[in-house]
Amino acid sequence: MESKDLGTTQINTWCPGCPNFGILNSVKEAIAELVNEGKVSAKDTALVAGIGCHGKIYDYLNLNGFNGLHGRVLPVCFGTKLGNPDLTVIGFGGDGDTFDEGVSHFVHACRYNMDITMMVHINQVFALTTGQANAITEKGFIDGSTPLGQGEKPINSVLLALELGATFVARGYALQAPHLKEIMKKAILHKGFSYIDILQPCIVYHKHSVPYLSKNAYKLDETHDISNFNQAIEKAREWDYSYEKDTKVPIGIFYETQRPTFESQWPQLKQPWHTVDRKPNWDSITREFK
Amino acid sequence: MEKTILIGGEAGMGSAVTSHFIGKIFTEWGYYVFNYRDYPSLIRGGHNFNILKISDKPVYSHELKYDFILALDQKTIDTHKKDLNKGGLIFGNKDTEPIIQKLQGPKILANNVLIGLLFKHFGVDLNILFAAAEKTFGKNADMVKKSIQEGYQLGSEKEKLKKLTAKRFISGTEGMGIGAIAAGLDIYLAYPMTPATPLLHFLAKRQIENNILVFQPENEIAVINAALGASFAGAKTMIGTSGGGFALMTEAFSLAGMAELPLVVYSSQRGAPSTGLATHTAQGDLKFAINAGHGEFPRVVLTPGDAQEAITRTQEAFYLAGKYRIPVILLSDKHLAESDYTLDEIKKSPLPAGRFILENPPEDYKSYKITVNGVSPAAVPGQGPIVRANSYEHDEYGHTIEDAATTIKMQDKRFKKSAYLKKEISKLNPVSVYGKGSNLLVSHGSTKGAILDALPQLKNFRFLQVSYLEPFPSEAVAKEIKKSKKVILVENSATGALADVIKEKIGIEIKNKILKYDGRPFTPAYLIKELKK
Ligand SMILES: Cc1ncc(C[n+]2csc(CCOP(=O)(O)OP(=O)(O)O)c2C)c(N)n1
Ligand code: SF4
Repeated sequence: MESKDLGTTQINTWCPGCPNFGILNSVKEAIAELVNEGKVSAKDTALVAGIGCHGKIYDYLNLNGFNGLHGRVLPVCFGTKLGNPDLTVIGFGGDGDTFDEGVSHFVHACRYNMDITMMVHINQVFALTTGQANAITEKGFIDGSTPLGQGEKPINSVLLALELGATFVARGYALQAPHLKEIMKKAILHKGFSYIDILQPCIVYHKHSVPYLSKNAYKLDETHDISNFNQAIEKAREWDYSYEKDTKVPIGIFYETQRPTFESQWPQLKQPWHTVDRKPNWDSITREFK
Repeated sequence: MEKTILIGGEAGMGSAVTSHFIGKIFTEWGYYVFNYRDYPSLIRGGHNFNILKISDKPVYSHELKYDFILALDQKTIDTHKKDLNKGGLIFGNKDTEPIIQKLQGPKILANNVLIGLLFKHFGVDLNILFAAAEKTFGKNADMVKKSIQEGYQLGSEKEKLKKLTAKRFISGTEGMGIGAIAAGLDIYLAYPMTPATPLLHFLAKRQIENNILVFQPENEIAVINAALGASFAGAKTMIGTSGGGFALMTEAFSLAGMAELPLVVYSSQRGAPSTGLATHTAQGDLKFAINAGHGEFPRVVLTPGDAQEAITRTQEAFYLAGKYRIPVILLSDKHLAESDYTLDEIKKSPLPAGRFILENPPEDYKSYKITVNGVSPAAVPGQGPIVRANSYEHDEYGHTIEDAATTIKMQDKRFKKSAYLKKEISKLNPVSVYGKGSNLLVSHGSTKGAILDALPQLKNFRFLQVSYLEPFPSEAVAKEIKKSKKVILVENSATGALADVIKEKIGIEIKNKILKYDGRPFTPAYLIKELKK
């Protein structure tokens, strides 16, 4: 399989040069490589997308897909895996989608540790609704809904995922596609809830993050022990998603650990439900009422 | 033979368990029992009571006049003594306390002393009570049996009840659960909310033996979105809630309509608006169910009227959801969900429990293929071809579109189902007519019980029960109304929503309404009194 086999002929409506293209290419390559390595089956892969610029990826990937509601990527991922535990389920959310509208689901997804991968396009704005501030936007940001300037500090989404117990936590940068692809491959193969925080500067509404990240992003190397939770927390605290002064922005895998997955704890979750040949036995269903 | 028994006490004292125990013995002894449960939203204290109506003829409702009061506390006597029938008996603390002292047992044993006293009155053999106690309480039955025996010895036999053919004792909730399992349920998701919670518990308890999965996600929005994910992946999925939870679900309910994913939504009404009366009954969500969700899309709303209908209507809900790829609302209420009914035998719907999923979908599969009846044959991820579900307007493949022509085509495609649905539903008894007479009572859902029991005492009245509220069986309803002299709507609501629906659908205005919105269900006596006005 080549990565282009995972594309579609739908007209791409992202702004020319949008880093979302980098995410799209990385996903296609990551999945194509995993398929070629015999680790993932394309027909058994399902993607779930939210609503926002990021969600358009649903139309650009030639995979089973569910384009759901704004903020509800994670429960749909959860349900899809519940409905067929054999599927490889990958969610694409916006930062507004995931950390504003749907933040409660994020908290619980980290806790459930279902074997799904969640990729969040961190562009620090509600892009598709013309650039309003969201939960990851830095203090002081000015936009149409916030002319007096964003008053609060952003959520540190990597730190949040770590604190909530996600078993795989990474950060990628959409403009460093080959590195992002490698992270994606590991995230998809990780057994449990994988979270990738993908820095995806919106070049229309949050332009200033491109030069900042290009200057400050650096790759975590071998000296970072991904099994060390405290080190991961320390690394996560290096950058607080603000732009006031130059701070190093680590990208790469912060943390990986193993914990029983949600589905491994349910004896009923053995096979896709649609292959369960049900012949409800009326006598046994009603016996207790005799 | 017809007797009404009230059992009351504080929450946690045992009136619910005891009433069920008594009802079960009577039904096994061949009598018809209706068990009504009344309780406030608290865990300990307060005043809970159950009313059992027992008869050798079918009963579907309770009355508020009692032949027996079984009191677990003084408040029960103080509150209900005024409603004791002439010659009625009260058994209470003065009977139970000396025995509990003698047995040196816990206070909860008062329930069993009362059971012994009651059944001695009816001359039911002590061994029958012992067998029932063992069945219900298992190994711990020793003290229970002893206290039943003491009560029995204290009582005196006043009647000798003949043994008749054993019957089945089953609640509306249990009916819904049986129906769901019989329909081939795979996954049930719910966030606790009275009065839908008992179904969550019923199915959760039976999940392993029936190979179904029951889970409680973080909130109602997660419940319905996860359910749609599961449905997309090929599972037969049902969710449960009450009005407030369903309100949270409506955005995704509309998604079910757009993405054409089968889903059964069990919505059990309670007093509202807002948090309302958590543990009391109402039918105020009828128009909400019919209209829930933004935009326009086909759906089914059906309301079972008793435990038997709870089974068959639930089976129908799954059948229609799967066959037409639409969301179906099974509208119930506290009164149906938490009352026990008696059936001669438990019957099922003849509808098949199969899956509406293609065995070998074609390579060029279209998730939203336009067909004659608007239903696109379903495939699921993993079968091979690409399967899509889209909340945006889309083309036949499920790709997002915005152009005008495709928008019209796809909206028309979804609504093509309506005519076929209507035809299908016309074969599922969307309305039922009971009794004879030129006047007509019109109602839906759990009011059926009180109306059926009142009917023989009413002169010249028929009863039209509307079970499918969407698509509305206009012709059948119009026919019955047109041939009636006086038409009266009966509804557990403040405004009589069914009258508005009838006006909208068939242009007939029903002016006479008997409405009850105190959180309590109708009784036959109440209806008869209102009709005399
Ligand atoms: C329930 C709901 N509220 C609001 C919207 C409008 N809306 C569409 S996209 C969006 C924000 C998108 O921001 P984000 O999730 O960060 O995605 P991005 O566009 O930045 O990729 C909003 C608020 C919606 N579609 N649904
Ligand atoms: S608005 Fe921003 S995020 Fe959206 S496509 Fe354009 S550049 Fe990308």
